[in-house]
This record gives sequence, C-alpha cells and structure tokens, in this order.
Amino acid sequence: MTDWLGPAEWQAVALSLRVSLWATLFSLPFGIFVAYALARWSFPGKQIVNGLVHLPLILPPVVTGYLLLLSFGTRGPIGSFLADWGIVFAFRWSGAALAAAIMAFPLMVRAIRLSIEAVDPKLEQAAATLGAAPAWVFLTVTLPMALPGIVTGTILAFAKAMGEFGATITFVSNIPGETRTIPSAIYAFLQVPGGEGAALRLVIVAVVVAMAALLLSEIFARRVAARVGGQ
Amino acid sequence: MLITKPFQLSRHARALALGIAVFASAPALSETVTLFAAASLTTALAEIEADFEAATGHDLVVSLAGSSALAQQIRQGAPADIFISASTDWMDLIAAEGLIEPGGRFDLLGNTLVLIAHGRAAPPVVITPDFALPGLIGDGRLAMALVDAVPAGIYGKAALDHFGLWGGIADRVAQTDNVRAALALVALGEAPYGIVYATDANAAENVTIIATFPPESHPAIVYPLARLAGRDGTGVAALVAYLQGDAARAAFVRQGFAVLGD
Repeated sequence: MTDWLGPAEWQAVALSLRVSLWATLFSLPFGIFVAYALARWSFPGKQIVNGLVHLPLILPPVVTGYLLLLSFGTRGPIGSFLADWGIVFAFRWSGAALAAAIMAFPLMVRAIRLSIEAVDPKLEQAAATLGAAPAWVFLTVTLPMALPGIVTGTILAFAKAMGEFGATITFVSNIPGETRTIPSAIYAFLQVPGGEGAALRLVIVAVVVAMAALLLSEIFARRVAARVGGQ
Repeated sequence: MLITKPFQLSRHARALALGIAVFASAPALSETVTLFAAASLTTALAEIEADFEAATGHDLVVSLAGSSALAQQIRQGAPADIFISASTDWMDLIAAEGLIEPGGRFDLLGNTLVLIAHGRAAPPVVITPDFALPGLIGDGRLAMALVDAVPAGIYGKAALDHFGLWGGIADRVAQTDNVRAALALVALGEAPYGIVYATDANAAENVTIIATFPPESHPAIVYPLARLAGRDGTGVAALVAYLQGDAARAAFVRQGFAVLGD
C-alpha cells in the first residue's frame, strides 16, 4: 500500500487531509452559529448576510482566491493586521485551509440551517417554560435534533475542502508540502510529460475519499435520525 | 412518370451541385483563427490581435495559458489552428504525436530570463555561485512558474541549478500555473522576488529587474510556432505571414523579445 503512491503523492494526500480537517473543524462553530442566526433570528441585513455566506458558491473560485490574496495577503488589510499577531496565511498550508473553509462554508451552512429550521420551535418553547436558559435549550434541544444536518454539513464541507483548487492555487500558489493539495498535485502532474500515472493514482484517491465521505454522512445521518426520532 | 422521376432527381442534384459550387467558390471574407499561445506573449499579442484583425478582416481568438496546459489541451483535441509554445519541449511532444502540419513549424522568438523584485526601484544584484539568494528572499517567497512543467519555471530552475543556488531555495519557491501568475504575485508584493522573462518584467508596472540570467545558465529560450495538422485555411496562412511581418516584429521587439530569423 505504501509503495502504491510515491512520496510526492503521499505528501499531497496527507496535506489535503490536514487542510480539509482543519478547515472543517475550524469553520464548524461559525457554521452552526450562522445557520442558527439565519434559521431563527430576524435582524436587519439578514439577506445580505445570507448572500455573503453563499457568495463563494456563486463566484468563480479564482475570484474568491484573488479576493483572499488581496485581503489576507501579507500586504492586504486583514493579512497585514494578522501578521502583527504572528498569523500568516499567504503561501502557507493555513492559507490553503482558509481558502478551503471559505469555499466549503455555504454547503455547511445550508445543510445545518435546513435541519435547524426543521426543529419544532414548540419543543424549544416547552424547554424554556420548564426553566431552561436559552443556551441550555440550544445545547439540549436544538443541537441534538439538528445533528443529522450538522453531520451532513460537516462531511459535505470536508469533501468540498478536499476538492478545492481554484481559490487555493490563486491565493497560496502551488508549493510542494505546503500548499500542494491533491487537486493542485493532480494539476501539476498533468503538466509534466509522463506525469499521467501519478495524476491518475491521485484521482483514484480523490474519488475514494469523496465517496467514503458521502457514504459516511449517509450512515451517520440515518443513525442519528433514528436516535433523534426516539426509537 | 417513371422516366421523369430520375430526370427530376438529377435536376435537383444539379441544382444542389451548383449550390455547393457557388457556396464553395464564394470568397472566404472572414475566418476565425484560433491561436494558442504561451502566457508570456499576453501583452504583445493583445496589440497584434487588434492590428491583425484590422489589417486582414479575419477574426483572431487568442487562448493564453502555460505552454504545458495548452499542449495538453491540443493533445486532447482542442480546436487550435496555431500554437506558439514557450519551449521546444512541448512542441516536440505534440510534433511526435503527429499533431503539427509537416513544414509548418519554425522558431519565431527568443527571450531572456530575469530576477525581479517588487517595487519600482529595487537595488540590482549580481548572480554568482556565492550569491546569498536565501538571505535576499528572507521570510518571503520566490515566485516562479511550475518548475517541472512550465517553461519559465524549467528555465528558472536550470539557471539556479547552474549557479548551485537551487537546493538552497527550493522550499521557498511559490509555484504558479503560468509565468504571468508569478509576475502578478511580485507586482502585488505578495512575493518579494520572482523569476520571469524579461518581457514579462517590461509589461508590469510595479516590478524591477534586479538581475539577468546569462544565456549559458539555461537552455536557449525559443518560442517555436507551428500550424496544427490539417489547419490550412486562408486565415491561418494570413496570421502566420502577419506574425513574421514588420508590424508584428516591431510589437514583439517593443516588448523585449528577440525576433528569430526563419
């Protein structure tokens, strides 16, 4: 198995897993918060927030990457501010994770929002009348009942992060071991005469990981749905 | 009736034949010519495209990308009429696959490779085997096109290797899918230094050439042009002639290319 992929290919696979894992874990709390706000609250500018969240889904990835480079680059307004605190995204794997997280965010929020909207508000109200504080209602009623959507959203986001290419190569370029994820590595291999073999092996890895993520999300969602259903 | 039917048929056939003949002999006033060209030709071709269309009435469609990406697209049957590659390697590859018109290839241009820095007035450096390139780059990145695939990156890696400098900075290189993307990173200041063609550096506002790599440090930078197999329309011939003409030559020279004799 270890001979099957070359060192450069393993490096890309390991990096992709690391980037996608961090992108997903880090954006999950934000994803739940934004989904809850969009599902339950009404506030001025809600449609604008909704639009901003969905923007990466609609914009060409290269545009998202360029905007990230302009804002989070070492000379960008956010990037230069963060650099003073020692946080640098440009040309780092963390930048690849940021790009992947932003590209995957709409998918995560959509799935979680749908499942929060499906939770009966009467149940939350009942918990509140029995004396539960709002945060406790959220943790013990809303969150468990929305779990299928949260799991689905998380795994979809992970799969999307694994496949992110356009924004990543534009924002953090293509650095072996640092930002050369599976899609970037496939692209680089395809540019070299005779690189098709390595590219094809990574294509197989990408297909297997994506399929596994989808299957896992189905299985989890079904199990959790059965539990929440009370059987 | 049995006699008139074949007669009618043949009359229709004659009309059809006449129609085809008229249609085929009608002068092809305007053809659409599709040119696949290395990204480093972007600025020069923008000028040439408008002039060519005004001068000949043909419509020119230019697709610009790294030579490697274009060569792969041509191998997969992309509808290109003419290909200008930034290296002989990629042209040799598609020639070996029988994709270019016999006798339709010649060397069009030459170029030089330079080290650039962000800003309008960066101090020049001299590249020698003792040159402290890692110290110069510091925490930043050296922007280059893909060093194993895109010609500008391949030449750049060869030039650094020639001076024994590649090993020291290999992990500081930010690789981009074409040379213009590397140029953009330096122009934005996101990468403080980069290796691009002299012509790219001339095309950007906010970069300075701080050193030129000597020709012996890398393989000769030659841009071969080829007509692709079976592409022999009048528009294609007109473009090949135009690219060798005085107007195009002047545009190439203005950008800093060396125009090679054919």
